[in-house]
Amino acid sequence: MRSPSSSERRAGAGSTATATTGWRRLLRALALALAAASVATGCGHVGVKAHQRELLADRIMRFDADPQERAADEHVLANREGAIGGTGTSGGGCGCN
Amino acid sequence: MQLRGPRAAVAVAIVIIVVGVGVGVGVGPAGGARAWAGETSAAQHLTVFREPSSSNAGVTVIHPQTDVDTTLGSAVKLAAGYSVDIVSGATPAIFGVDAVSSATKFSDTRQQVRGSLGYTRPVADVTVGYSYGWEHDYRSHALTVATRSDFADHALTLDLSFTHNFDRVCDRNNDAAVGNPLERLALVKSDHCFEGDPLIATRHLNIDSLEPSLTWAVTPRLLVQGGGTVQIVDGFQSNPYRRVELGSAGRTPQESLPSLRQRYAVFGRGAYAVPGIRGSLQGMLRVYRDTWAVQAYSAELDFHEYLTQFLILSALARIHSQVGAVFYRDARGYRLNGPVGQYWTGDRELSTMQNTLFGGKLAYLRVPEAGARPFFNEIEVGAKFEGLFYELASSMAPNADRRRAWIGQLAISLRF
Repeated sequence: MRSPSSSERRAGAGSTATATTGWRRLLRALALALAAASVATGCGHVGVKAHQRELLADRIMRFDADPQERAADEHVLANREGAIGGTGTSGGGCGCN
Repeated sequence: MQLRGPRAAVAVAIVIIVVGVGVGVGVGPAGGARAWAGETSAAQHLTVFREPSSSNAGVTVIHPQTDVDTTLGSAVKLAAGYSVDIVSGATPAIFGVDAVSSATKFSDTRQQVRGSLGYTRPVADVTVGYSYGWEHDYRSHALTVATRSDFADHALTLDLSFTHNFDRVCDRNNDAAVGNPLERLALVKSDHCFEGDPLIATRHLNIDSLEPSLTWAVTPRLLVQGGGTVQIVDGFQSNPYRRVELGSAGRTPQESLPSLRQRYAVFGRGAYAVPGIRGSLQGMLRVYRDTWAVQAYSAELDFHEYLTQFLILSALARIHSQVGAVFYRDARGYRLNGPVGQYWTGDRELSTMQNTLFGGKLAYLRVPEAGARPFFNEIEVGAKFEGLFYELASSMAPNADRRRAWIGQLAISLRF
């Protein structure tokens, strides 16, 4: 049996360096999204008004319009791929919360 | 043998579902308590997953799922659900060069009950949920807290969700092999799990998941969403039954995986309305990394169109590509070169691979016409079929005999 390389040892130990990089990437992406939203807010043009949401409120515009169907799909893929998460939140832009 | 606990949980689930439906019927248009009652919905899904093998029986999973929810007053929402995985087929107990020929038959039933309580206000809501899942060799308790907040006149929606799993896994008692994973023995069968048998051990697995996302109604036709997932998995993550052939001497110890895994995923997606054809186009990109060095990219494209006033056709294409874990080798690699340090696996999901998925769905969605007074507010019946095609990096990869899978789903949901 050969001895593991340094990169292999890092992976096995759950490298904090890799973890930190992952955190940074995620936070960077979230910061960009929030910055985009903030800029839009500052410009007074965040998005559409309530009376303009007829198309957005339609069922076919909702992300994961059927949450149970989505749960079943994720259940299938989570057992067949090494990468889970990052699949989003169901709902849409109807502003009907 | 099933334990008494799961049986009791099934009974509780049935009671929850029956009570939920009963409450729904009671507070519906025919009920007498409409002053405090909101809307109730019930949904039933049946998913069948079939992954045929060129060498054995392959794998079949039948997954029925029932969900009900009801709104009490204007602010409180109760939801409950129950689902089952009936799994059968054949899988190799040893991941090795002759793995396919050594496949053995198996069957198991996994069940899950879940419930949640939500509090909704005009611009925000919070939901607390709990689920319990069990099978012969696994127990899972999960607590979830989720919030949704609208900003800027509902143009922005921020979702935050945190889940903690308290899971337990049945394993062979390998106290005699502490410090030497090459001596670890695999679990042979799930009898006597969680019963205090000295030959059986119970391993713990804790999972923390944080999922933020932001949805933005950009224009009257465009909706975008971005976010991510951070997940920390801490505990026993090996398949307790799986053995991996290492070296040319024929050693076959239990699969050995690190006990800590940190996973990170970010995504962006958008939905664009095409009113000229009463359709919409949705696209998604996702990037994934974890501390086992698995790297993955996924892309998805969905198209939806109203064929008639009540009939929606959907088409889906998805591609997923990943680089395997740093300690993964195919069967020939493990035989010729041995393991990578103290870790080895025979799991396809940790291998380098790509898969593509194509599918279509037809949904019949009916909303009563103005003036009509049926017992429901909306009814939907759907049928979906998908094909999943794997491209493995090697003919000696795990499950190399199973190159495709079929997924069928029937669904009916009712709001009243």
